[in-house]
Amino acid sequence: MDTKTEQPDPIIHQPQRLKIMAALKALPSREQLEFVRLKTIVGATDGNLGAHIVTLEQSGYVEVEKDFVGKKPRTRVRLTKAGRRAFEDYIAFLREIVGQE
Amino acid sequence: MPIQRQDAASALQEIANTEKQSHTAYHYQKAAPHLFLWGLIWIVGYAVTYLRPAWYPLWDVLIVLGFVGSFLISFRTRGKGSHTSFGWRYAATVVAVFLFVTALFAILPPQSSLQIDAFFPLLIALWYVLIGVWTRGTRIALLGLALGLLTVGGYFWLHHYFPLWMAVVGGGSLILGGFWLRKV
Repeated sequence: MDTKTEQPDPIIHQPQRLKIMAALKALPSREQLEFVRLKTIVGATDGNLGAHIVTLEQSGYVEVEKDFVGKKPRTRVRLTKAGRRAFEDYIAFLREIVGQE
Repeated sequence: MPIQRQDAASALQEIANTEKQSHTAYHYQKAAPHLFLWGLIWIVGYAVTYLRPAWYPLWDVLIVLGFVGSFLISFRTRGKGSHTSFGWRYAATVVAVFLFVTALFAILPPQSSLQIDAFFPLLIALWYVLIGVWTRGTRIALLGLALGLLTVGGYFWLHHYFPLWMAVVGGGSLILGGFWLRKV
């Protein structure tokens, strides 16, 4: 059985945070995704997604920008350079296990 | 606990699916406000063409407003510090389209204003289909296809009411399309 004993990044190694990172990684550099769209893509509740974003933000992997469009509050999230690098490392880690590299 | 090979493979698959979904949602998010703007312009322009044909030059003003509006939307919706150099790309696109249309009309001059009224929606329809195909945006491609079919249908079967048809159905389709893209 193929396994890897080295531990992955614990921040990213969580199904919903992994999805958040993947969703943000798909955007061009420095571009943002609105919270509501991220919620649909990840398939999370407001509270759940908010908590995961706080964890990622505290780790320096994402940046959050809050503003208003008219009177409606808007939250947008983007991947930081550190987040992009951490995610790429995580992908490399998974590929190594699968044997693609 | 060590990660199994199968778990790693399914995680990679999940990542690929999410990236694809996000990529599409990002482009829809960018496109929707442009569709609202141009839908409104079509409604005003074609309604005026139908009700007051003598005011046809109003189209020139509307088109300039549309390009300026689209530029401002792109500028406002790009990420802070974004490296996407849309400014010169946008300008180059406008110039390329202008040169293409000028050359086309010089070689194949339109025989009636109705042909011009139908040509531009077809060009936009083609543009949407191509964007949809190249960005994997099924909804944008379908919207372009619908717009093309509605334009051709209106041109051949509703000759006298064509501008009115394009105002209601064409402009309406763009606005509805904008709402559709936002629902992702």
